[in-house]
Amino acid sequence: MKTFDIVRRAGRSLKNAKARTILTSLAIAVGAFTLTIAIAAGEGARQYANTLLTTNIDPQILAIAKNKEFFEGGQSNPQEYREDTDLFARPTGTSVALLNQDDIDKIASRDEIVSVSPSYTISAEYITRPDQKKYTVDVTQYDTGVTQTVTAGELPELRTSIKDDEIAIPEAYIELLGFRDAQSAIGQTVTIHLERTPNVTQQQVQEALTKGPEALAALSATQSKDFTYTIVAVVGKSATALAATANVQVSESSARTMSEFSTEGTASYKKYFIATASVKEGIDPAVVKEALVAQGYGVQTAKDLQGLLFTIVNVLQGIVFGFGILALITSVFGIINTQYISVLERTREIGLMKALGMRGRHVSRLFQFEAAWIGFLGGVLGSLFAVIAGLLLNPWITNLLTLGEGNYLLIFQPIPIVALVIILMLIAMLAGYFPARKAAKLDPIEALRTE
Amino acid sequence: MIEIKSVTKTYGKKNNAFKALDDVSFTIPDGASVAIVGKSGSGKSTLMHAMSGLDRPEVGEVIIDGVDILKLKSKAVDKFRSEKIGFIFQAFFVQANETSFENVALPLEIASMSPGARKKRVEAALRVVGLSDKEKQKARNLSGGQKQRLAIARAIVNQPRIIFADEPTGNLDTVTGGSVENLLFGLNKKGGSALVIVTHDEELAAKCDMQIYIKDGKIDRIVGGKQ
Repeated sequence: MKTFDIVRRAGRSLKNAKARTILTSLAIAVGAFTLTIAIAAGEGARQYANTLLTTNIDPQILAIAKNKEFFEGGQSNPQEYREDTDLFARPTGTSVALLNQDDIDKIASRDEIVSVSPSYTISAEYITRPDQKKYTVDVTQYDTGVTQTVTAGELPELRTSIKDDEIAIPEAYIELLGFRDAQSAIGQTVTIHLERTPNVTQQQVQEALTKGPEALAALSATQSKDFTYTIVAVVGKSATALAATANVQVSESSARTMSEFSTEGTASYKKYFIATASVKEGIDPAVVKEALVAQGYGVQTAKDLQGLLFTIVNVLQGIVFGFGILALITSVFGIINTQYISVLERTREIGLMKALGMRGRHVSRLFQFEAAWIGFLGGVLGSLFAVIAGLLLNPWITNLLTLGEGNYLLIFQPIPIVALVIILMLIAMLAGYFPARKAAKLDPIEALRTE
Repeated sequence: MIEIKSVTKTYGKKNNAFKALDDVSFTIPDGASVAIVGKSGSGKSTLMHAMSGLDRPEVGEVIIDGVDILKLKSKAVDKFRSEKIGFIFQAFFVQANETSFENVALPLEIASMSPGARKKRVEAALRVVGLSDKEKQKARNLSGGQKQRLAIARAIVNQPRIIFADEPTGNLDTVTGGSVENLLFGLNKKGGSALVIVTHDEELAAKCDMQIYIKDGKIDRIVGGKQ
């Protein structure tokens, strides 16, 4: 018997048992629905993460730390003491090694590197402007490798820094600092106040002691310095911006000046957790990373960050996938059950076909193809519902998760859906195997007995 | 020519052994009509199963067209049935939810015939039994007599060497049964395929060229034919 004829016969048998066919395939449809959503959500999340990274991060940027433990949460095991390594204890109880100026120079001296800028630690006391209250503030250096959403004013394009007397402030400060709106803040000045407790030598103390208590007080008095900047941009929150920061941002050299003022005389003077290096255009950052890792540094590329985000996406997708698989397993038993009943109901028909010379193999195939049809129907129904539901829900989800205009969480692609339907057909065929074998083994004489 | 040589079929084992067929031998000439007559449980159905290759007696030979079908492998027996045998059953066994055309096409599908050739053969067979106008009707909408005619069309569509009819008129009233009988014998006279009717109806048996009486698995007597 020709396979085409068997397939056609299988389809016809199913049409004659419509209710049963549809109910059985609905069970598969539930699995197919879940799996389609899982695939679409995974794809959507990956594309979103990708958009996030490619529009925000310069792919040529490397993040460099003294050693690789930095990116792994710090040293948790005792390390051999080395005089040339500076350690910083994290509040979590782990400690990290710090980069020093030698490291920065060493990295900067590489041919592939355009520039290196350490990330400065700045502890500012407050930010203010004339006739306004003082507010606490975190100051960071302007990151030339990340794009930001600007509410008012303008920021230079990627890889270009703002000027040394300029500052970019987050939206949150507009009202606090008494501006009418973001636009009116542009061009105005703000003042950042820094303080430090001086480091006093033994000699200075002894000299002061001879001069009396006033001198001593003066010596130990905190020193302070005000830095004044012109606002060039107000940074807003954005769905596709990684740096939805609440920090005010100043140029690198301003940041260095401030950092050096507040850390002078302390252990962290000219020591850095991390530095960002920009790799020359046309050179693969991964190659440079390898070279730096060989020297003992901890390095992450933009791609590594992508990998990290993808890992999270994959785990979440895996969980949804698991539920889909569970639904499928349930439906497999459904198929086995329906097909067994079908074999029992059609004993006569099977007996007749075998009496007329149909091979057991072909009878078996007939029932397996019926199961495959059920799988096909379930797969198509499930993925169709998923696509419809996804397209209807996408705008709502985008709104709810504030993904930003044009970004959708559920992205349906034809190839995975087709592959899913094919896999479901194969699974259904596998489930149909046992009932099909029963049909194939049926004795035509027994089956055709009239009494 | 169909030769049956000392065919023995035993059911059960050892102490419970029961001989359904015991050393049965006879010969049917080409194109003859034969009635296998016997009471229920006499072994006449078992004999039909053995002759059609549905059952495998452990002893004996069933030689059809010079081939002992008991020596064939199961695949070859299936092929033999699909090409050389037609079946007609008392309970018709037509597929109620399929059309007349689909019912008759089944043996040709099994024999892997192409759809084009199938169509011609099916239409011809339906014409012979007078059901051309019911081609697209579902079999469930046919009357008993029409169903049996449909079964006859299905039995002759592959132009078999032998048609086995198991109590073909058992479920029909006298008038309908008579017309089915006439159709069967008419086809037998014209077509050249042998007709083997299994029945306990003496009247129907008498219409055949040859009657083989079976009793307790043994041949009681053979009437007619060249013995």
